[in-house]
Amino acid sequence: MQKGYVQVTDSYERILHWMLAISCLLLCVTGLGMMFQTFNFIGYLFGGLKSLKLVHNFTGLVFAASLILVIRMWWKEAGVFVFPEDLEWIKVAGGYLWHVDKVPETGKYNPGQKLFFLTVVGAGILMIITGLIMWFPTALPAGLVRWMYPLHALGFVAIFAFFFIHLYLGTIGNPGTVPAMLTGWMDRAVLKKQHPGWLKEMEHEGKLVVYGEEKKSGAHGHHA
Amino acid sequence: MTEKIKLYDDSKCTACRGCQLACKQWNALAASQTENRGTYQNPPSLNANTFLLIHYQDYVDKEGNVKWLFRKEACMHCTDAACVTVCPSGALHYNKATGTVGLDHDKCIGCKECVAACPFEIPRWDAATDKVYKCDMCESRIMNNMEPACVKACPTGALSWGPKEKMLKIAAKRVEKLGGNATTYGDKYVKGTHFMYVLKENPAIYADIHKDPSVPLSVTLWKGLLKPLSLLAAGGVLGGAFLHYMIHGPKYPDLPKDENTEGGK
Repeated sequence: MQKGYVQVTDSYERILHWMLAISCLLLCVTGLGMMFQTFNFIGYLFGGLKSLKLVHNFTGLVFAASLILVIRMWWKEAGVFVFPEDLEWIKVAGGYLWHVDKVPETGKYNPGQKLFFLTVVGAGILMIITGLIMWFPTALPAGLVRWMYPLHALGFVAIFAFFFIHLYLGTIGNPGTVPAMLTGWMDRAVLKKQHPGWLKEMEHEGKLVVYGEEKKSGAHGHHA
Repeated sequence: MTEKIKLYDDSKCTACRGCQLACKQWNALAASQTENRGTYQNPPSLNANTFLLIHYQDYVDKEGNVKWLFRKEACMHCTDAACVTVCPSGALHYNKATGTVGLDHDKCIGCKECVAACPFEIPRWDAATDKVYKCDMCESRIMNNMEPACVKACPTGALSWGPKEKMLKIAAKRVEKLGGNATTYGDKYVKGTHFMYVLKENPAIYADIHKDPSVPLSVTLWKGLLKPLSLLAAGGVLGGAFLHYMIHGPKYPDLPKDENTEGGK
């Protein structure tokens, strides 16, 4: 850790993020093993396709629990668009697609991050509901159960594609942002570029936690 | 491949249930306790140890005449089988020699996707083994040049087994001979079934028969569109990310202001 680094997440946020991420990835991998017969070999890693199915189902429960806690934790910061600044940001696509002299400042999470969060929430809830019905399909009429499968596949299309967007923008697309989900401390220069609005707000409110400086009381953190 | 068809002619069927018993015997299926529910039909529906069921129906026509209708219900062995399309493990498969639909229980993972997909509501899931069961057209017999057990047992000729072209011709001739409302059932659906009926009455009047069955739209959307789209979309994102990195570049933090980067200001 270097002097001057700023704390952006607490351990609760990071642990929940990785619980959701790892369960989500495990679900993607095991799901692919059942969706494509070409990927049936993934079943060997879990002791056969039948075990793969069980791993998938029970990992789904971990995912569901994580998602509920994540929604509680991040809804206020990442689930609600704030106008007009979020709209201004969207108008210039956050400076990601063409040159923008000054990207409009937003709250802690920019509308792109909010869109990702809301997609995970929406598609995640869809996956949980359709997945549970697929787990116990004989409880409902076949005509209804039938539609759970394409809906589950639709959720996967969204989540799988968004995963790669998240992976790119969370790593090499935005250098310096990875530590936010590892140590929780970010370089102030990166924050100034990525989240200037939030940095100013925290400074103004005296809530900013800076490494090497005396920790102020009432420091920010998750709102769970 | 010589496609083969099993033909059921209800005008020749006496509902003796010899086929139902032969099916149990060949497939070593346990019998369930029968129950008097006011009909000879027992058990009431297909289940994990009943792959074949003779339906008994008292039908009263417009003139008030009572007719006893029989119908043999079993897997229809579709040419375009929704169950094979959705099966994740390859347990349900087309028999390459005959075009019928086989089921390999070693591969079945009990996901029940076929149960929801089948337009004829045939596959039945068994909680005890966590596997799905249905008629496999006696794969072990037909692969050894024998006819299915039900056909073998039929004493009246209501059931027959043979090459597709031949059976279609026999069925057409029989329909012509029966006249009236007689018709074939199965050959016009799901690109043709490998189990088909000659029915002496209009199919619509048979109890629990599936009217105009087809591969469900949900199955086509799922396996035909969304399944390939999932990989295409992810691949598109990866390609897009690559191009973005190459053309637009990542978002680096601004250089510190105290460095002499702004034209000497």
